[in-house]
Amino acid sequence: MHAAGTRVQEFIGDPVSDAPAIGRGDLEEIFGDIQADIRFDHELNGCLNCGICTATCPAAHYYDFSPREIVQLLWTENLEGIYDAMQEKIWSCAQCYTCAARCPFGNSPGGLVMIMREVAIKHGMQSAKDVLRPFSRVMLKLISTGNQLSPDMIKPDHFADWGPNISKIDAPLKLLRQAIPMPTLNTLETAWEVNLKTSIELYTIWEMTGVLTQLETIDENLFDVISDIMDEKREDYEDWLEDQEDDDD
Amino acid sequence: MSDSNCGERLTGHGPEWNNAKLTPAEARTATSWVEARVDKRSMLTSKDRVEDVRDIMWQLEKDGEILVHRIKDEHRPRMVKTLFGWDKKIPTTQLWHHKSCGQCGNIPGYPTSLLWLQNRLGVEYLDETDQTSCTAWNYHGSGIGNVESLAAVFLRNFHQAYVSGKARGLDAGHFYPLVHCGTSFGNYKEIRMFLLQSPKLRERVKTILGKLGRLADGKLLIPEEIVHYSEWLHVMRKDIRAMREVDVDHIRATIHPACHVYKMIPEDAIYDDDILEGNRVAVSTGIVQEMGAQVIDYSTWYDCCGFGFRHIISEREFTRSFAIDRKIKVALEEAKADVMIGHDTGCITTLDKNQWIGKAVGKEVSLPVVADCQFAALACGADPYKIVQLHWHASAFEDLLTKMGIDWEKAKAKFEAYLEEVKAGKGERLYDPRLRITSGPGFKKFNAAAE
Repeated sequence: MHAAGTRVQEFIGDPVSDAPAIGRGDLEEIFGDIQADIRFDHELNGCLNCGICTATCPAAHYYDFSPREIVQLLWTENLEGIYDAMQEKIWSCAQCYTCAARCPFGNSPGGLVMIMREVAIKHGMQSAKDVLRPFSRVMLKLISTGNQLSPDMIKPDHFADWGPNISKIDAPLKLLRQAIPMPTLNTLETAWEVNLKTSIELYTIWEMTGVLTQLETIDENLFDVISDIMDEKREDYEDWLEDQEDDDD
Repeated sequence: MSDSNCGERLTGHGPEWNNAKLTPAEARTATSWVEARVDKRSMLTSKDRVEDVRDIMWQLEKDGEILVHRIKDEHRPRMVKTLFGWDKKIPTTQLWHHKSCGQCGNIPGYPTSLLWLQNRLGVEYLDETDQTSCTAWNYHGSGIGNVESLAAVFLRNFHQAYVSGKARGLDAGHFYPLVHCGTSFGNYKEIRMFLLQSPKLRERVKTILGKLGRLADGKLLIPEEIVHYSEWLHVMRKDIRAMREVDVDHIRATIHPACHVYKMIPEDAIYDDDILEGNRVAVSTGIVQEMGAQVIDYSTWYDCCGFGFRHIISEREFTRSFAIDRKIKVALEEAKADVMIGHDTGCITTLDKNQWIGKAVGKEVSLPVVADCQFAALACGADPYKIVQLHWHASAFEDLLTKMGIDWEKAKAKFEAYLEEVKAGKGERLYDPRLRITSGPGFKKFNAAAE
């Protein structure tokens, strides 16, 4: 639960109270990480505050979110404001890149938001952990199987607001999947049949690019579950390789 | 003016700002001026022209740093023009299907319709199990992942496409990747751009690809073009029209173009002066018009669908509100649409699934939502259930079928009877299932041509 008070008081500190403020060093480190991303100069070229990005932004219709504000905070190096925006606002962005397509300067506020999200995760911000908790099913599926969505995730109780027609044919899911004429799609736990060798290659990518470290920072339990799955699949693959060698002998 | 402001208005624009005091007619003229330009192609082309990253690609190959997976004559390419009038080569056969996890998991009639059309046209393809998703849905939703991981996944999958023919004794490069998902398409193009521009990124990713055994002649393999299935459909539209069996001339269609298809890397999107005067991205509109349907423009054409990556899972109030208020309702009221047609996984899912809930707030909307290839397949006589798999769609596709003159109740009964055959292991396949495994566990060599 959030403490009472404004967002600035909660996350930055209250200038008229003794509440501890976020240290300048921490703010600089966070901004330094944002600036260090290879995409930063590509996504931010300047800003005249024209607001065309916000005028066209779907998230701005519904949230306290403005891509113009994100660009201005970064352009003017407003470290407190950047930190504040990283608590909540950056998670409102729908990642449509309409802002980028329209910006006369060629900025990409959507791209800047992605950099800020990565940095929020790197710093283990509690707000990022809270925001991503409901997304953990997708992360579990993706990192362990290489598919982001699977037939067994689409259940009426998970998507009650989609109505009664998850399928308009009343038959078991397994049978309906078998009735799809693409042989790779006769699956339940993955969107398509993924070769074990493919999954093993993907795990190497996760490890070598720091994705598992990100995951561990944000959700240690999920990291443990995924590590176990990866270990099991690697053992299965090792067994298969040994069988192949035996066959060759 | 409300009663409480006593005629006073604070604008906050500063002393230099003056009310233009336009008459209603003048205000309409001014608004029309904006409307004539906003959301149009000129909005994108009036900015400084971006570089063509393919120039860097050819130079890097010349310098011996990368290898380019070429679209050769054997892929029977057709040429199109993109935003700035640049040429883009679209292969039409020997295609490696880069599937979409959202399509395959949730709306499987999307890829099956595409493969069915390709079978009808005699297109050679491969649909195999050695492929991961692009991982970009998760990345854009959560921030878990990074440029390096996205680049490694991109290069791994495309390398597999390059070598996939070897299992059948075919040359490297025989199959060319055809990307099904709009998210993957945008992501791969963005990542290709970063890879071509950044020597450090190439160096880091090369280490990973080397460990995976995924280098070609010791080099990173970059595709000459990144091609979306809607582009294949676009260049094949006249061939598909020649197979039309159902009259759709009276169908009023609205198009929802996908943001990651044409906004993310705008310079690579196809435009055609003969399609909506070149003001809208040409894919989907081109095939739907070619099939004979009427494509009706509407004021929120440019808006996204509300998918939001994370939002469709955990901020659903945003997703469904945006989908209903900014897309479905507008298409119904302004365009009197019979159908909304898209070309991306997330958009179709969002727009299709988020109508029923409108009842809860008195917004009763009903508009069938399908992909362009599903609409084309229906017009060419594909079975609505067995092939187009419309039963996975929540929206009222039955209304569309009725309007097209297709007896959906009869088709449904036929499909329910067909499920008994499936139970008995006698289901139909679009291709020989043995082709789906090209290496690793489960792989067995066989000669399809000899059988």
